Amino acid sequence: MRAEELKGHLDAMLLAALEGGPQHGYAVIEALRQSTGGRLDLPTGTIYPALRRLEQAGLITGSWSVVGGRRRREYRLTPAGDRALSGRRADWRDFSAMVTAALEGGPCPNPA
Amino acid sequence: MPEPRLISSYLDVLAAQLPASIVEELGDGLAETHRSYLRQGLAPDLAARSAVAEFGDPELIVAGFARVNPARRAARRLLGVGPAVGACWVAALVTSRAWAVPLPARMLAGLVLAAVIALLATSALGTRYRLAARTGAMGLFGIIALDASLIAGVALAGVPLTWVLGLAMAASAARICYAARALRPALAR
Repeated sequence: MRAEELKGHLDAMLLAALEGGPQHGYAVIEALRQSTGGRLDLPTGTIYPALRRLEQAGLITGSWSVVGGRRRREYRLTPAGDRALSGRRADWRDFSAMVTAALEGGPCPNPA
Repeated sequence: MPEPRLISSYLDVLAAQLPASIVEELGDGLAETHRSYLRQGLAPDLAARSAVAEFGDPELIVAGFARVNPARRAARRLLGVGPAVGACWVAALVTSRAWAVPLPARMLAGLVLAAVIALLATSALGTRYRLAARTGAMGLFGIIALDASLIAGVALAGVPLTWVLGLAMAASAARICYAARALRPALAR
């Protein structure tokens, strides 16, 4: 999956990757790769600015720790991030149901 | 294990354009990526090449961080509200008949305003992190100085307070607070 196809969805995917607990940047990327079955084709370095953007928006919070003598920045979801993730999930379900109905035919389920 | 030369050169490119704390975080991620390729059995040099290729073009990363630069964000917001605050002041000065300011003072104010707008616009449109941060911080200082001068000027000149003037002063005071709050993250390294 290319970067331009991810536009608008990357933030929600990053929030979902952090749902299980605090993670550092590389672990977030690995979690995304695993959850997408390795189909995520995004330059790894571009994930870090996205994490900073989510931090500035108050959806995640970052803190430094020392692991193996090396400083490492870990991110965790904030309550606002948790709410935003739930909202994005609900929006995505509605959106994908609508597009699936339009492309493949059949009834479009009513939004929850 | 020493850092492969290719990885240190890659980080040097980033360090020339990004703050140390960001480069430190990227360096940690790049080292993890390199270790992951080593665990897969790649030779150290090939692992380093693969890690750097996976991380992507440094210019893309720098541009990504420039977009989330706090100074750039603040500059964009200030440019967005600028016309509304300016309109408030024009309306306030016209209705208060306070235009009788000496020409040199008006020219000076115009020049300062133009310089502040140019600084904020450079920051708002910049794709280079440090340039966006510096011009943004200077623009924030400029907007604080400009708004403070406007408020002090009308107060010292004894311009009668009308609701329009009050609105303009409140808008400037709010802008000073916002710019002052935005300065700390903007100046952070």
